[in-house]
Amino acid sequence: MNILHFDYTLPAQIISFLLLVWLLSKYAWKPLMNMMEQRRINIENTLTQAQEERQQAEQIKKEYQDEMRQARQEAQEVIAKATKVSEERTVEILALAREEAEKIKKSALVDIERERDRAVSEVKAQVADLSIAVAEKIIRQKLDMPNQEKLIEQFIQEVGEMPC
Amino acid sequence: MHEETVLWHLGNMTFHGKTLTMTWLVMAFILILCFLGVRHLTSGKPGKMQNILEWIIDFVRGLITDNMDYEKGRPLLAYLVTLIMFIFFSNVLGLIPNFTLNLFEHFGVEWAQLNKIFEGPSLMSPTADINTTIALALLSITLVLFLGIKHRGAKYFKHFIEPIPVFLPIHLIDLLAKPMTLAFRLFGNIFAGEVLIKVILMLPGIYVLPAIFPDTIWLGFSLFIGAIQSFVFTVLTTAYIGQAVSESH
Repeated sequence: MNILHFDYTLPAQIISFLLLVWLLSKYAWKPLMNMMEQRRINIENTLTQAQEERQQAEQIKKEYQDEMRQARQEAQEVIAKATKVSEERTVEILALAREEAEKIKKSALVDIERERDRAVSEVKAQVADLSIAVAEKIIRQKLDMPNQEKLIEQFIQEVGEMPC
Repeated sequence: MHEETVLWHLGNMTFHGKTLTMTWLVMAFILILCFLGVRHLTSGKPGKMQNILEWIIDFVRGLITDNMDYEKGRPLLAYLVTLIMFIFFSNVLGLIPNFTLNLFEHFGVEWAQLNKIFEGPSLMSPTADINTTIALALLSITLVLFLGIKHRGAKYFKHFIEPIPVFLPIHLIDLLAKPMTLAFRLFGNIFAGEVLIKVILMLPGIYVLPAIFPDTIWLGFSLFIGAIQSFVFTVLTTAYIGQAVSESH
């Protein structure tokens, strides 16, 4: 047997192999490569999307930080304002209280004055009564019959002398 | 070799029946493999078979991008992937034991001389026939010429007379040598491997356990050679085409 024997096997092999290439290209490689291409596009899209989403997230984070800073600032302002208002209120309230106290003190002084006057007048009246009572007692002690008569006499005389 | 080449006759044409039968076996195997691979195509998570096919495609794509612009090489991808798979499985087929257990011989099936095609301890590599390797090499060199002319036009022929016209015979020999070396390298490696398998099986006492080791070792080495030769054939084809289509070399 001659191992280098050429015959029509050669074209038959060419045709067989080209047939295999054609069949595989059509039914295997084409769909497979399409699928690989599709996967490549998928992955690319996913990556782009991820990139976009990250950027968005970054932006949102920035916005939140800005908002937070603003909110903190506002809060500080509010607190400062409230402190100021409360201080003002304190001063105001203190002034009011002082005024009130002054007023109360004044009216109390007036009352005291009045009370003293009344007490003084009462004392005066009592002194008058007491003096009368003392006078009565003294008079009762000193007024005996002769003196009584003398007194009556004097009284009648006085009455008689009065122009009627 | 004592065995006769099985010849099929069609009119006054003769064919190597064993080579053709083995070629068709390989083709059927590759087709089944690929159809299994693309049965549940998905762009998401690929299955095992799809993964293997995608790995092969990526591998060959890498070979192409190493040698030329990918845009020029893209139409080649299907051809080269088929080529590397065909040569690899062809080379390996000669290592597979004869699964017909000589039943064709036993029942005397004479049709298409199947009894003679499936005889012996193992099958035959289609690439152990010079017709197959010459056919593949001719296809390769045709592609080289065709793509060279397609991409560079008349300028492609200019490289035959570079740097001076005296170099024309050398370039012509080079053009002839490329398919010759491709074909004979592959044929020689695989044919020698098969011959050696047959020789090893003729060793005295080979069917005693320790004596099987030479065969085992040689089968493993042949598998390695088969893979290397399919790779070499594809790489060289790619390189030749890359040379032909590139603007400068």
